[in-house]
Amino acid sequence: MPASTQEKVAQLARVQLFGGVSRPALERIAELVGEIDFSAGDYIVRQGQLGNGLYIILSGTARVVRSGEDLARLGPGDSFGELAVIDRSPRMANVIADGPVTCFGLASWDLLPLLEKEPIIAVNMLRELSSRVRSLAGMHHRH
Amino acid sequence: MDRDDLVDTLAGMALFADLGRVRLQEVAHTFIEDSFSAGQRVLRQGFSGTGFYVILDGQVAVRIDGTDRATLGKGDFFGEMSLLLGEAPVADVVALAPLRVLQLGGPDLESFLKRHPEVMFRMLQSLARRLRTANTRQS
Repeated sequence: MPASTQEKVAQLARVQLFGGVSRPALERIAELVGEIDFSAGDYIVRQGQLGNGLYIILSGTARVVRSGEDLARLGPGDSFGELAVIDRSPRMANVIADGPVTCFGLASWDLLPLLEKEPIIAVNMLRELSSRVRSLAGMHHRH
Repeated sequence: MDRDDLVDTLAGMALFADLGRVRLQEVAHTFIEDSFSAGQRVLRQGFSGTGFYVILDGQVAVRIDGTDRATLGKGDFFGEMSLLLGEAPVADVVALAPLRVLQLGGPDLESFLKRHPEVMFRMLQSLARRLRTANTRQS
């Protein structure tokens, strides 16, 4: 059975990307996201393809694989796929479901206006990307 | 720099490209103009208490452990990642020639970006590009 708006809001409130977002705004976001189920081995996003949205993992885990190399593992509360929305470029890596995975999908045409209306989401995204740039360059101090 | 000249300069920068004249004037009003001589360090690797900088004129080297990693010029910006993450800069940023910058104090960056989502989106795009470049280099 599909999740109610209140259930969706509760799930969204736990996602780092939406940290600091007001409850009324979360309710609006809940109306925009769709729940998508994947099975073990499914490609949630595929390297090289154009992306039209971002994903938020609700349950299950997935691995990030670029050109055959495992880069990271993602789990509940993690979001991914925002880069292709921001710069309209092809996906940088595959994200493959380890087992059953349930995600929220947020379409780029809903996400982009949301970044203007709820700038805290864009700030959270800037933090996330900054953190990734630093960890890639091997100069992160936090972990 | 004359306020009108400054607004003209800002209008030509990718970071501020989506702002109209009135908003550009607000930007010019919010930031402080500062200058550095060649060889001076603007940011220090490992030291906190920094700001966000936009280059108006001149060039800087991004230097990690004494090795130059990148050169930035007019319209480029730096310092935002440290501020957003609340961490010390991971690089020295050194003026290669007489440098003029616009500077915004650390605590003001987030509220500035929230007031100007268009600028924040440009910043996101720039970070996305950097992330892609870093990824490509690594593989």
